[in-house]
Amino acid sequence: MGLTARLLRFAHAHPRAFVITAPGATRTRLLVEAELRRRNGRMVTSPAAAAMLIVCGRPGSDLTAAVDTIWEDMPGPRSLVRLDGSASAERVVAELDRAAGRLADTAAQRADAEARRERGPWSPDSDADGMNEHGDQASGHQHDHAASSESDDGGGHEAIRHEDEDHDGDDNEHAPAADSGHAGHGAGSSDEDEQHREHMEHGGHAGHGNHGSGHGGHQHHMGAPMGLAMAERAADRDGLKLDVLHVPLGPALPDWPAGLVLRLTLQGDVVQAAEVAVMEGAADGSSFWDEPWLRSAAGEQLTTADAERRRAASHLDSVGRLLAVAGWESAADQARELRDEIIAGAPESDVAPRVAKLARRTGRSRTLRWMLSDVGVIDRDMAGRHGLIGPSARHLGDAFARLAGWLDEIGQALGRLDDSAPLLGSDGPRGPVERRTSAAVLAMLPELLDGAELAAARLTVASLDPDIDQVTAAKAEVPGE
Amino acid sequence: MSEPTPVWAVVALPLVLAALAYSAAALDTAFRAGGGPAAPLREGVRLIVQQRRRTLAPDVLLMRIGVISLPTAALLAATVIPLGDTSVWDLPVSVVWFNAMEVVAWGSLWLTGWGVNSAFPLIGGYRFLAQGLAYELPHMFALITAGLGAGSLDFGDVAAAQDDLWFVVWMPVAFAVYLLSALAMTFWGPLDHPVADDLAGGVAAELSGPDRLLFFAGRFALLTVAAAAAVPLFLGGGAGPWLPDWAWSLIKTCAVLAFLVWVRQRFPVIRMDRFMTAAWMVLIPATLLQTLVVGIVVVN
Repeated sequence: MGLTARLLRFAHAHPRAFVITAPGATRTRLLVEAELRRRNGRMVTSPAAAAMLIVCGRPGSDLTAAVDTIWEDMPGPRSLVRLDGSASAERVVAELDRAAGRLADTAAQRADAEARRERGPWSPDSDADGMNEHGDQASGHQHDHAASSESDDGGGHEAIRHEDEDHDGDDNEHAPAADSGHAGHGAGSSDEDEQHREHMEHGGHAGHGNHGSGHGGHQHHMGAPMGLAMAERAADRDGLKLDVLHVPLGPALPDWPAGLVLRLTLQGDVVQAAEVAVMEGAADGSSFWDEPWLRSAAGEQLTTADAERRRAASHLDSVGRLLAVAGWESAADQARELRDEIIAGAPESDVAPRVAKLARRTGRSRTLRWMLSDVGVIDRDMAGRHGLIGPSARHLGDAFARLAGWLDEIGQALGRLDDSAPLLGSDGPRGPVERRTSAAVLAMLPELLDGAELAAARLTVASLDPDIDQVTAAKAEVPGE
Repeated sequence: MSEPTPVWAVVALPLVLAALAYSAAALDTAFRAGGGPAAPLREGVRLIVQQRRRTLAPDVLLMRIGVISLPTAALLAATVIPLGDTSVWDLPVSVVWFNAMEVVAWGSLWLTGWGVNSAFPLIGGYRFLAQGLAYELPHMFALITAGLGAGSLDFGDVAAAQDDLWFVVWMPVAFAVYLLSALAMTFWGPLDHPVADDLAGGVAAELSGPDRLLFFAGRFALLTVAAAAAVPLFLGGGAGPWLPDWAWSLIKTCAVLAFLVWVRQRFPVIRMDRFMTAAWMVLIPATLLQTLVVGIVVVN
């Protein structure tokens, strides 16, 4: 092994991974999170900070486009890991080992970098050639993209395309013509056609399309720098004229419901409008969190203990996400660790005291209460209008009330871990499983997020933590019913 | 303090700063996932080898200025901070210089957030601007209070004025506000909203490779400098029994630094839309009152 390879092996021993989860792959995500923790690795929040891109589950077409975009944009040395929804823990270990090996494979990494360099830098114009399928994806996007970038390459470091197979054993899903031009519309803005429609609606510009790539109208009105559209302006809530940015949240955003996309219209960091969309997975797969209740409804014999174990884990997952979004990494890590132990079957006597400690630590934190109170307030009227049921309807109020509700329910669920009575009823972690309560949450989001700051919007979504698997599973079943 | 600066001090300064900043980073990883004392080294190697990611139509010059100015400002601020009673640059208004270098962080974050031409870093930049409006005035009043107590804006004189009683004892409010604003200006721990995870890393979301390394190394260096400045300002400088005064300066700096690093584990992030009111309604009056009390004592 050469010096460079040895250095790379040393540098990548603790993996820094950007994880994208497709709907229906919650179980795989949990395995990946546990394995990363075991390796002293970390899930990073931006592709720029990552060396590994881990895709859990089989993404549908929209999500595949988003994954490709992010992969194109990731700086090398890099490695792509695909794990489907049924991957075993051993498979996760093996794949992460392989990925670590690839990161230290200097020949492959050089080839990858060389291939990208040859493809040349991405630019709005070159985009038009390679982008027949997404013909109207042209410029005008710099304000539309979010956590990611448009990769061009002045420095010659980075180009667009990867083609070497060493990188990515099961790369066949990449359709070359489709990926090339996506370069960097970033975490979440892959649904280009939608984006454009929205852009046009808001922009109200006529006369676009006067250059080859189809949708270039804005910039010609505005004397666009670098061929990019300027942001439009509109009056904000204080009566000032402010730039309007269209920023999608999701689907590739950490601590975010898998497959959820929120298309936000922002002025500054205030949400003026939000539109909800769901990107589906390619495989069906029912909700992992609802599984015991669904199996019980299908006639299987399960104990209350099994179901309550899953309920506690589900709420701990939600709590971990909310705490992470609230910027309390150490408490969030604690919640995730407990979640994984509970799923792995740790006895009640072991986990209950530690869960109680976490509940005290978070539930009594004055800072957390200060930051979460009055965020995403749901009153009885709003809950009734949208038909909200489940824990978020039981614990009406702000994000902190919902957090306290989860913590309560976790405590109660842990108290029943020894209950071997057969499971009755269908009241899952998010309410009756057959009612698919997350759909109501999604319906409520636009109203709830209107006028919120971006940070509050993220906290609101995290404090409701809708399970998109419920929604996509419902859609998948429709043809069959 | 009138003798010329020894050459070894000029050489030692960046080394000591780097060693302390590295220790802070190592301590932080130890508090978090674990990973041992080599973890920051791993990350450093990884980032040096990593390619740069370029966004579409970035303002590269502004972005680079933003990134590079962060460690540079930390180093320049460190030149006036005495280790024992030796500082590299013996400036009569060293407290003002220190403050001026800290303010460079405003520029650094805003230029970086703006320069990459991406929405999340831009919003991260907004957040730091709001944060600056909240912390900078209380911070300056805290510095002025210490200066007023000593009747000088020179770190050496401020430390010397604490021979009888450390300023932390009779200026506790100023000290607490100083620590809080140190967190804010280094966008660290509960005040790291400008680079928070909910924005995919905020200002730093698009930084990769050497840019990212410089940015975060600069942040740790700034945190170190902020901790080091607390020693002559409030903790009696190099004063202490048995050990030489440079050793006491280092020990106290490490203690403050460890505290600042630890705070990150203890609190969730504090958002400025909530904190701004507290900053202006509580912190500014409190620091003014502290200054008034110190002023009355000094006059008497």
